[in-house]
Amino acid sequence: MFNIDKLSGRPVYEQIIEQMQYLILVGGIVPDEQIPSVRSLSLDLSVNPNTIQKAYNELEFNKITYSVPGVGRFVAKDAKQKIGASYDKKVDVIYDASYWLALAGVEQTVITDTVSKAFTNAKRHMVERMKPNDKN
Amino acid sequence: MIKTEKATKKFGSFTALNELSCTIPDGCIYGLVGSNGAGKSTFLRLVTGIYKPESGKITIDDKPVYENPEVKKRFVFVPDELYFLPQASMQRMARLYEHTYASFNIERFQNLTKTFGLDPKVNLNGFSKGMKRQAATILALSTMPDYIFFDETFDGLDPVMRNLVKNVIYSDVCERKATAVITSHSLRELEDTCDQLALLHKGGIIFESDIENLKTSLFKVQVAFDKEYDKELFKGIDVMNFVKKGSVANLIVRGNREKTITLLQQMNPIVLDVLPLTLEEVFIYEMDALGYAFKDMII
Repeated sequence: MFNIDKLSGRPVYEQIIEQMQYLILVGGIVPDEQIPSVRSLSLDLSVNPNTIQKAYNELEFNKITYSVPGVGRFVAKDAKQKIGASYDKKVDVIYDASYWLALAGVEQTVITDTVSKAFTNAKRHMVERMKPNDKN
Repeated sequence: MIKTEKATKKFGSFTALNELSCTIPDGCIYGLVGSNGAGKSTFLRLVTGIYKPESGKITIDDKPVYENPEVKKRFVFVPDELYFLPQASMQRMARLYEHTYASFNIERFQNLTKTFGLDPKVNLNGFSKGMKRQAATILALSTMPDYIFFDETFDGLDPVMRNLVKNVIYSDVCERKATAVITSHSLRELEDTCDQLALLHKGGIIFESDIENLKTSLFKVQVAFDKEYDKELFKGIDVMNFVKKGSVANLIVRGNREKTITLLQQMNPIVLDVLPLTLEEVFIYEMDALGYAFKDMII
């Protein structure tokens, strides 16, 4: 379910949060579906349970998941919207990248083609259950 | 919860631990790094009640440890120099442990022995050093401890075994909020396993932090401008280290990654790269900021 890179220098708990959010966005886990317990994820990924707890606490704090005492943790109903809202800043990244590419003399069509490709792939990944890191 | 309050341990005129205070909460996997002679083993022996401190308090859940069987039955210690009964096999040692620890779990002992591929009937003298360490680890884990102390144990286990032991510890942390304290020479060793890390040097803890926080608190920025500039340009950023070669500067920054990037982008750099630091690099810069030369400490 998750693919953690312990050597990347990126904190493990950030990777867990990001990948959980990705799964929710592509529909790999749906609202009210249960997410893996801290224990099972800890043993599956060989990651310190306290680290997973930290990631899970943050997801819950941001109301992307909720817990049912004695049962487990579940994806919130409006998780997708909440995650989407936090990604708004990424539009600025596109502006910055495009600006510099334009200065460098790159054709506008290259940029618009890339944007189209990204949208096509995103739609594809949402229909077929998750294939992360697919860049073609 | 393990708590030491200003614990001091002397051997003759040599002060091994100097007024050391620390708190290790339940469920924590606590890593202690330090060079030889820093006091790691002494710390563990104080906390497990093998030594009595000259001054200060050592408690587990507010109860003193020294000569207190009620507390001692809750934890187990895997020392650096292992000791087994003469001519004993793992099975013989298991019987000893069974009689010493009411919580000893024979099933876990048998499962782990099988998983590690060890013969419990064979004389332990015939085991290699690594296998002896595995045997000691299995016996310790089988006591189902609330607290487990490893003195450089991981340094002697191969990667497969290390992973197995890690998973047993993780399972115990989840099931029983067990606490593990692990000492090591190597940061790399502890980085994957622990959630808290402390650096011991000359009898004192000089640095202690949550590992995930350590990794995000500092980062490296490589930046270049097509105009003249110096360190002054970055006044609004907490720059711990600044190295400039030609028009490219490498900054070690403490603070919020996104805010720093936004600030730097507004200066219109021609190069802007953010790179993560390894835990070792984070330690080096933090120590540098505290006035220590890290390379003198970790061998």
